Amino acid sequence: MNSEGRLLELEDLRKWFEIRRGFLSSKVSYVKAVDGVTFTLDEGMAVSLVGESGSGKTTLGKTIIRLYEPNGGRIIFQDRDVTHLKANDLKWYRRMTGLVQQDPFGAFASHFTIFRSLEEPLLIHNTVKSKEERAEKVFKALEEVRLTPVEDFAYKYPHMLSGGQLQRVAIARAIILEPRLLVADEPVSMLDASVRIEILTLLRRLQERLRLGVIYITHDLATTRFFSEWALIMYAGHVMEKAFTQEILRNPLHPYTRALLTATPEPNPENRNRFKQVPPGEPPALIDPPKSCRFSPRCPRAFDKCFKEEPPEFEAASGHWVKCWLYERSEGK
Amino acid sequence: MGWLKTGSPKPSAGLKGVLREVLSYKSAVAGIVILLFLIGLSVYTVVTIPLPEAIQAWRSSEAWSRNPRNAQPEWIELFYGRKLPRTITVSLGEKASEVLREDGTLSVSWVIHFNYEYDDFPSEIIVFFNSSFVEKPVVDIYWIRPDGDEILLKKHTLRRPDDRLYLSNDLGLELRLERLFESKIGKKPNFTVTVEKGLFSEYSQDPRVLKGLYGMRFETALNKSDVLNAEVVIYGTVHGLAGTDHLRRPLIIGLLWGTPIAMSFGLTTALLTTALGLIIGTISGWYGGKIDTIIQRIVEINAVLPFLPILILLTTFYRIDLFVILLSVVVLSIFSLGIKGTRILVMQIKSYPYIEAAQAYGASNMRLILFYVIPKIMPPVVPGMISSVPGFVFLEAGLSYLGLGDPFLPTWGKIISDAQTNGAFYKGMYYWVLEPAFMLILTAIAFALIGMALERIVNPKLKEL
Repeated sequence: MNSEGRLLELEDLRKWFEIRRGFLSSKVSYVKAVDGVTFTLDEGMAVSLVGESGSGKTTLGKTIIRLYEPNGGRIIFQDRDVTHLKANDLKWYRRMTGLVQQDPFGAFASHFTIFRSLEEPLLIHNTVKSKEERAEKVFKALEEVRLTPVEDFAYKYPHMLSGGQLQRVAIARAIILEPRLLVADEPVSMLDASVRIEILTLLRRLQERLRLGVIYITHDLATTRFFSEWALIMYAGHVMEKAFTQEILRNPLHPYTRALLTATPEPNPENRNRFKQVPPGEPPALIDPPKSCRFSPRCPRAFDKCFKEEPPEFEAASGHWVKCWLYERSEGK
Repeated sequence: MGWLKTGSPKPSAGLKGVLREVLSYKSAVAGIVILLFLIGLSVYTVVTIPLPEAIQAWRSSEAWSRNPRNAQPEWIELFYGRKLPRTITVSLGEKASEVLREDGTLSVSWVIHFNYEYDDFPSEIIVFFNSSFVEKPVVDIYWIRPDGDEILLKKHTLRRPDDRLYLSNDLGLELRLERLFESKIGKKPNFTVTVEKGLFSEYSQDPRVLKGLYGMRFETALNKSDVLNAEVVIYGTVHGLAGTDHLRRPLIIGLLWGTPIAMSFGLTTALLTTALGLIIGTISGWYGGKIDTIIQRIVEINAVLPFLPILILLTTFYRIDLFVILLSVVVLSIFSLGIKGTRILVMQIKSYPYIEAAQAYGASNMRLILFYVIPKIMPPVVPGMISSVPGFVFLEAGLSYLGLGDPFLPTWGKIISDAQTNGAFYKGMYYWVLEPAFMLILTAIAFALIGMALERIVNPKLKEL
């Protein structure tokens, strides 16, 4: 393992989806869902991927755990290039990563009991040989996510459990192989508000205890503060801003991040009559995104350069990167 | 499609639950009872009449020489309200007298008796001889009526040791009997005096069966070493549970053997075509891309190919037994349109989050297909399979009817085909067609009832119908 404790490195990672135009045409175009993401995650750290629908955050998450094959760039996991792993190596990578999905009701095969659902990863990776040991592992995982007494839950079918309970089972399934990296794709957005915080607390506690690297995908900036050390703001397949979560929330630099923060409701009685200024328009189509800054058509502070050239990432402050021409000058300083 | 929703409550878990639910439908219970009956019948048939024996008996005309030709089943009496004649067989047995003559030959005679209490005339009379001799003996046969009259039937010279005397075809006897009737009642009787009527009727204007004890006397001269035995068979007009056909074969054998053949053919074809279709459809839907395109084009081409003409062509060119027919039917049905349905279901299931989750923890394609996808698409597949059985049973019968079936096996379709070529309906032998038709319908009903109940269970929307 890396001496610096580095878990995951993404270098200019790209995921483009091929689409065919026309019936017999061989002409292909691409949906550039993730277009050049560079990022590093240390052992036991959590990072939030924040963005609106269609920003590519889910695609990025799925590409990282290799549910999608990247079209370009590299994924380095524990100093090993996993970008194009095949067969047995990929199976190893599957064991090292876990996934918690958005929809707990769809996350389980309805013909499997909870026990069987949790046993499946163990059966596939054959890490535990004996039946008794497998059962022990399953029960331990259920305890881990506080579904006790475990016997009450293990032999039920998914439809007998509530959304919150199912999401706990999903977390149990994601950690049962003792992975080092967990991708949580909007794990609480389909749950009742009352159980959201429980699930997030559980995830956070597990992450700290098991020293898991966690990629937390969300559209809700409010929960990132609670959950993650780092935050990445995504827009139209690009990372617009990345920094410590606290830093981003306290000092958002990119116009898009600011707009996002503005849109976050705050429980302040003075806000009741205030009209919030949000950028007009829609995110660009990703089939042929503008070659300029992708936020430029909506940006309130855009100037000439923004419409001509795509900005690189500027380090506006220490550890605070922004993909915006506004901060070009800070480079020179 | 309620069963497809991942989160929807399962109506019942496990096989037991399904079985309990099936039994809650009266129609399904009826179907199961019929099915069990047919299965029992098949097992009984296979155990009691081994196939080679059945085939051989079915194909030989000799085995059934003691059966009446074109006889109706015995229970037909219920509709006529008369006692219809059964077949009577009498052997010569003990000699009545034996006298040594001067030339060294023996003058021998036999007398046999039998009761005739039926309300109709027999269909045929044949004397089967079984003898050994040096010189061809002449046998005088006399007919003794219950009223005491004695009629010389024939002075018969044995041509072979196993000679047969077809009394019904004896025109000379017929003429003598007609004259006898004319002299007894003083004028021509109102009916054609056939041998059977002449021998068994009262002396009256209209044919009326004379019931009572009949006798026959055989007289001959034999050498000392000669042996003579004979069997008189007076054929009835009814036979057994199912009657006989034009070759005197008891239809019951064909009906019985038709059961396991039809059942195994129907079930095997249904099972094979469904299973293979399921696998191909799943592969098509799961892998997509080129494989999918190729499979779908094959399905579409197959859909426009004429099924029956191809089958007829095949059965014309190749030696046709049941196995070849089964194979051709399976091959022609593998790429059926049902694959499109399976493919769509698989594509739908493929997009469910639980599949993605399984991929994330490393499930292989094989594992995903076998444990995650196929169990999900089984619910509509199983009732579909059961409902498709009658179609294949009918197909086999249809091919047999067209003369394209297995030429050796006795099947329901073959019986119907025989009935057709021998003009069963024209001659009023309805039983010949109706019996195999009844068996076919029974089989179809059994599978249809069970299939419908299963379909209603997996697709609750149908319950309202």
